[in-house]
Amino acid sequence: MGELKLLLKHVDEPGIENLDTYEKLGGYAGLKKAVGMERQAIIDEVKASGLRGRGGAGFPTWIKWNGIPKDTSKPHYIINNADEGEPGTFKDRELLLKLPHMVIEGMIIAGVALQAEVGYVYIRGEFVESAQATRKAIDQAYKKGYLGKNICGKQGLNFELYIHMGAGSYECGEESALMSSLMGERGQPRLKFPHAPLPVIEGVWKCPTLINNTETYAAVPHILANGGAWYGAMGTERSKGTKLFSVSGHVARPANYEVEMGTPLLQLVELAGGVTGGALKAIIPGGSSVQIVPADQVAGVNLDYESCSAAGTLLGSGGCMVFNENTDIVILMKRTAEFYAHESCGKCTPCREGTRWIYKIMERIVSGGGQKGDVELLLNICANIDGRSYCALGDAAAWPIVASIKHYRHEYDYWIEHKKSPVGPNCIPPVPEVMNPLLTLTPV
Amino acid sequence: MAEQTQTANSTIGAAPAAGSHRFSAQAEAELAEIVSHYPEKKAAILPGLWIAQREYGGSLSAAAIQEVADRLERPFVEVEGVATFYTMYNLRPRGKHHLEVCTCLTCACVGAYDVVHKIEHKLGIKPGETTKDGAFTLSEAECLNFCGAGTVMQVGDKYFGNLTAENIEAVVDQLRASEEHTPMKLADAIVKLHLSAGG
Ligand SMILES: Cc1cc2nc3c(=O)[nH]c(=O)nc-3n(C[C@H](O)[C@H](O)[C@H](O)COP(=O)(O)O)c2cc1C
Ligand code: SF4
Ligand code: FES
Repeated sequence: MGELKLLLKHVDEPGIENLDTYEKLGGYAGLKKAVGMERQAIIDEVKASGLRGRGGAGFPTWIKWNGIPKDTSKPHYIINNADEGEPGTFKDRELLLKLPHMVIEGMIIAGVALQAEVGYVYIRGEFVESAQATRKAIDQAYKKGYLGKNICGKQGLNFELYIHMGAGSYECGEESALMSSLMGERGQPRLKFPHAPLPVIEGVWKCPTLINNTETYAAVPHILANGGAWYGAMGTERSKGTKLFSVSGHVARPANYEVEMGTPLLQLVELAGGVTGGALKAIIPGGSSVQIVPADQVAGVNLDYESCSAAGTLLGSGGCMVFNENTDIVILMKRTAEFYAHESCGKCTPCREGTRWIYKIMERIVSGGGQKGDVELLLNICANIDGRSYCALGDAAAWPIVASIKHYRHEYDYWIEHKKSPVGPNCIPPVPEVMNPLLTLTPV
Repeated sequence: MAEQTQTANSTIGAAPAAGSHRFSAQAEAELAEIVSHYPEKKAAILPGLWIAQREYGGSLSAAAIQEVADRLERPFVEVEGVATFYTMYNLRPRGKHHLEVCTCLTCACVGAYDVVHKIEHKLGIKPGETTKDGAFTLSEAECLNFCGAGTVMQVGDKYFGNLTAENIEAVVDQLRASEEHTPMKLADAIVKLHLSAGG
């Protein structure tokens, strides 16, 4: 266990973003193999690899692939979710910027396996630089015959790949909202299974649609080139292979690190140069949507799906945020609440109203206006969002607050009683400049 | 809530009468190519609005939205609904340089507010405001997903990383010296990303 560079092996190689260099270092070998394989044989390799979706939920990739019908009376679509918006995560940005051919190759393999002739890379609007690298790589792949008509020289094997840019919305990373956005709508989620068919049956334009995360696609060429069993030999029993973790916050060398699944969380922090500015206070291991883990509980946590859930948190998207002892958890959570209130798409009441209420209460607490009963009120609101929202953004807004109260109730109580930070006047993030203890709970 | 990129006090106004179109021949050709990427015209609403944002000088007026609606044969309210949902469509004019400073979780923990305060002090504006000369707009942004380089700021099509209260002034000065209208440059870059090479 520990650092294991598979996707990032050649990331520092000059020119790796270009087709020639990528190919010289083994790129497109997976595609060439896939072109000569049967649909089911490709899916079986993905199955043998044990690859699980890297977008956050960890859903087995092969099951989605296998769910795309064999019947091609309707067109099939391949979508790359490159809307990376989860606070703390910046792996897809780097993959698209430096290793765009790896991502594209994975998408073409999916297209070959699932008889899709069209794919879209949905990239968040802010990621212009990464998208430009991807654009260039797509154009090179067309020139080389890896995209377009009769790819790899095989008659009748076609795959067109387009870029579709977002325009500023975290919710568009949610797969059904992404489909809405791709089809020209507001980025709001669509009715889900069992109330509607799965996207692999009826996705965009009511056609079979595969949506995977950028990192998921980037793993596919390696699986095809070296075999699913080879990939599946890495990691733990149920979390296979390697995973990218974006480490940020109070560490000496914030960056993306690739480790074998099952690596101890603290080893990742060491890879990133260790904690700076004081002793470790807490870690949020998988992006802002997952539960915070206090320092005295991080020792037992390993970076695999099972170990993280056992520790009361989630592996999520791999956005690992490290906080030192000067961090004020209540202010940190107030900023988290602000994020979800801003990004709620407004479609369902529990999330639209609840995220704003949470934010208002958090704001009044850190403005010195906290009232007895505010913590219970927060828990009550969270309980009424969790499981009652239309998509998982609502749950993701509630979980971090509940976990922070579970572990740091004393900091909330201190704020409410003393009207100041338990950490002291130089806490991080700083106490808001404008103190407004008279905040009421009217809508924002 | 801190004033973010999108604000409630936009003034799109009512749908104007059709007919006063402004897309250049190049923009028309771009839209036609983009429409061909999808099975229906409606899917080109987002890229169409990016084209409009460039063609109309960096923000979307009612006329700009109407033109997209006309060209894609969709109702005005539908396109307006899309334009108002996404934070990167400007419903009001922005300064020549739109400074969007990330104050989200880990940026907030490595000094993002110090950076914001330095800019406020230097330019005499608060988040959500534009300088009188129209050179700068300041906003707080949600996570720009480049957290490893916090504090991060987006200006048009560029990201600036590792900003601190010490080095931010030099960045602002450098931007002031540049002639680019960054919101328009951003819109143009995004339009081009949809187009295949040579297209
Ligand atoms: C609010 C919200 C935001 C999400 N954002 C992203 C994202 O930015 N990128 C991503 O790949 N998945 C995101 N997801 C997860 C997707 O819905 C989906 O599970 C994923 O794209 C599937 O790909 P995978 O199986 O390869 O992980 C988000 C989910 C929610 C609820
Ligand atoms: S939970 Fe509801 S309001 Fe929140 S983002 Fe999802 S659909 Fe929109
Ligand atoms: S928190 Fe600032 S870029 Fe993510």
